[in-house]
Amino acid sequence: MIEARALSVGFGPALALREASLSIAPGARIGVVGESGSGKSMLGLSLMGMAPDAAEVTGSLTVDGVEMAGARERVWERLRARRVAMIFQEPMSALNPLKRVGETVMEPLLVHRGLSRSEARARALALFREVELPEPEAKAMQFPHELSGGQRQRVLIALALACDPMLLIADEPTTALDAEVALRVIELLVRLSEERGMALLFISHDLAAVARATREILVMYGGDVVERGETEAVLAAPRHPYTRGLLAARPSVGDFRRPGAPRRRLPTIPGTVPPLDLLPPGCRFSGRCPVEIARCAAERPPAHEGARCWLAAEGAA
Amino acid sequence: MKRVAPNLLIGGVLVALVVGVAALSLVWTPYDHAVLNVRGKFQGPSLAHWLGSDQLGRDVLSQLMVAARNSMTVALISVLVGGTIGVALGLTAAALGGLVEEAIMRVADIGFAFPALLFAIMLAASLGPSLWNAVAAIAFINIPIFARVARASANQIWTREYVLAARAAGLGRFAISRDHILPNIAAPVIVQATIEFAVAILAEAALSYLGLGAQPPAPSWGRMLSEAQTLMYQAPQLAIYPGLCIVAAVLGFSLLGDGLRDATDPRLARAR
Amino acid sequence: MAYLLIRRTLGFVLTLFAVSVVVFAAMNILPGDPALTILGLDATDDALAALRAELGLNDPPLIRYLHWVGAALTGDFGVSHSFGVPVSGLIAERLPLTVSLAVSGMVVTVAAALALGIAAAANRGRAGDWAVMFLSQIGVAVPAFWLSMLLVLLFAVTLRWLPPGGFPGWEEPAAAARALILPTVSLALVQSAVLARVTRSSALEVMRLDYVRTARAAGFSRRRVLWRHVLPNALIPIVTIVGMQFAALVTGTIVIENVFYLPGLGRLVFQAISNRDLPTVQALVTLFAAIVVTANFVVDLLYLAIDPRLKARS
Repeated sequence: MIEARALSVGFGPALALREASLSIAPGARIGVVGESGSGKSMLGLSLMGMAPDAAEVTGSLTVDGVEMAGARERVWERLRARRVAMIFQEPMSALNPLKRVGETVMEPLLVHRGLSRSEARARALALFREVELPEPEAKAMQFPHELSGGQRQRVLIALALACDPMLLIADEPTTALDAEVALRVIELLVRLSEERGMALLFISHDLAAVARATREILVMYGGDVVERGETEAVLAAPRHPYTRGLLAARPSVGDFRRPGAPRRRLPTIPGTVPPLDLLPPGCRFSGRCPVEIARCAAERPPAHEGARCWLAAEGAA
Repeated sequence: MKRVAPNLLIGGVLVALVVGVAALSLVWTPYDHAVLNVRGKFQGPSLAHWLGSDQLGRDVLSQLMVAARNSMTVALISVLVGGTIGVALGLTAAALGGLVEEAIMRVADIGFAFPALLFAIMLAASLGPSLWNAVAAIAFINIPIFARVARASANQIWTREYVLAARAAGLGRFAISRDHILPNIAAPVIVQATIEFAVAILAEAALSYLGLGAQPPAPSWGRMLSEAQTLMYQAPQLAIYPGLCIVAAVLGFSLLGDGLRDATDPRLARAR
Repeated sequence: MAYLLIRRTLGFVLTLFAVSVVVFAAMNILPGDPALTILGLDATDDALAALRAELGLNDPPLIRYLHWVGAALTGDFGVSHSFGVPVSGLIAERLPLTVSLAVSGMVVTVAAALALGIAAAANRGRAGDWAVMFLSQIGVAVPAFWLSMLLVLLFAVTLRWLPPGGFPGWEEPAAAARALILPTVSLALVQSAVLARVTRSSALEVMRLDYVRTARAAGFSRRRVLWRHVLPNALIPIVTIVGMQFAALVTGTIVIENVFYLPGLGRLVFQAISNRDLPTVQALVTLFAAIVVTANFVVDLLYLAIDPRLKARS
């Protein structure tokens, strides 16, 4: 069980993550969506105790009931891989180029689990089979540059699973992959989560991938969680204007299938995400929001039925 | 962000100091550096002789000043000559490409097999030791270094649009090299020259120390050190000043070179 | 892989050949009469003519070159004029000292530079980092021969812990080792200043890479990440510099042997210059240049061994 309460990550006065709260139960599958700079990666990193050294982390974060806010690096090292594991976007560069991938997966087994080399090798091969890496024996002897992108991502997943974590954080795990390969990696992550009872935090800017992979969703903008709820419900009936913009900006399959149909211009959210230190103090989305009201820029809206939006809050009142 | 980088500042100050002293020695030194005064030998620092006198009673400060001038002259000539030849070769290689480029760069590679010291030894053995042989040896090792820098930078410029435009306008390869490439590779070449200036000062000192450079009575920091070495028990201070001069000059030029590189190539500066 | 190996080896052999041509040309074709150089200006014409004939100077340069290279390939570098014995014998006698000096200098250099460079990178921006960077900046500017003199002033003249120079011979291993301490340190300090900087920036470069983050995410300690993941990858650019430095160390021994009066190849070459002993100088310069070229060749081979990506590319 992992609980974040009002977790913030700041660089001076600028907040990369603003009072985020989140509780992750065993087996939960939670998606985090948002543009780059929305704070979604920072959320993932701070759950690993891996926010940048320059950042100031405040709020509360408990792992198995133990308070980790302000914990020292040594303490975090004992949690990583064993309780919380993480995989990253670029499978190209995320593997040590000088190590055979089998050795890479054996390393945590040798170091954390104290297995003998032959035990570790057998376990690594079992992990490779579990993540459906083809020809595991042969692949274990190869170097990262000899594998395809999808195979590398599978190796990274095997590495993350080595010490049976209760939570796997996947930061844009499919972004660098071909659509077909990405789909199969998503299926793999869902299956592993179900079979192992392992929670999955799936961070992506790709709504379709999140819809496939998760049951709950957090929508982030400017470091703030602006909307949360069941994935299906949120995507079917978004309450926050930002979520609506995000959904509208997504090309649907139908747009391209009808020959002769008039081309529809994809609607986009006007403007760009401002830099962290120039975000408005109230709702982070004000300034770009199409339905903004007077108080939005100055006052942070409360969460109302999952959406942090004055309009939703006042409409209800 | 507009403040001057510390390496540029310290390097600039040291270089200005050394070059200033060398220039001053052209018009004024406290004493004639070569005048002997056997009765006044091994004097300690005094108002008359700020840094004392050596085993022959010569004024140490005057010698150091003239040595600074000699050191700068050797470095300037050798870097200028070696750099000019090297840049010309590098530009030619980049302009012609193909087999010519390959051949020029292969020959340049061979140059890297000879440190300045080996080259000076060969020249000294066949022509006898002299300061000019030291200059030639240092100039020689600069050729392949500048050829590499010039070629690498020139090859980048050759792909730019304005060069393509000049080619489309019918300008010849050598005209393009002169008018478009050379001005645009000036920054990396000047940076390299500053760094090689430091290397040349070190090399001159080492060669003169070994007797392959400045010959007596021409004062040189390296030669002063080799004389001081035999007097280490009587006058250890004589082994200190010339060494400090070398360090100041070399440190100055290498810091200045680093600073110039950071200033002209921000990409590199960030990587460091 | 095999193709790359053959290419490198071929390039190595060609460079060695080119080096021999350059040395021969510099010593034989440059203006100056070797016979006159050897005998001096007061030699009689008869003596000069006799020596020219003995040295084969009347043959065309190409023939002389081929004679010299052909003999050198069989280990025959001619006879030293000043010592009156074969040059190869002189080299064999003095090689052990120079090699021990260069190798011990290299070991100390690499050990000190890796430790300091990695420590500086791990403490980037803190006091330790600044100290290492400051010392290495100064170290790069200090001439090795001056550093030697300072070390002699301190440890030999003032403290009298170590001998100021000279070599007792290998029969007394303890005394021989003591005699080599200051020369080794002088050689290594300057080179390790250079290498520590390279190590630091290379390690910082690697630390920013994704797989280092992966290793941290796998729960490995800072120390393990640094030594098992960062260092091996940071070593790749370091290997090139070490190759160049080995070359610098070998020629550095020429200077250092003269500072400490050590009877190695570097001292020999200076004795040969002052005795106008051309065959000896020619052989020694060729040998030193060949060591430099060989060091670079070994670096190329090491690259192939270290980096699996290179094997795949060929």
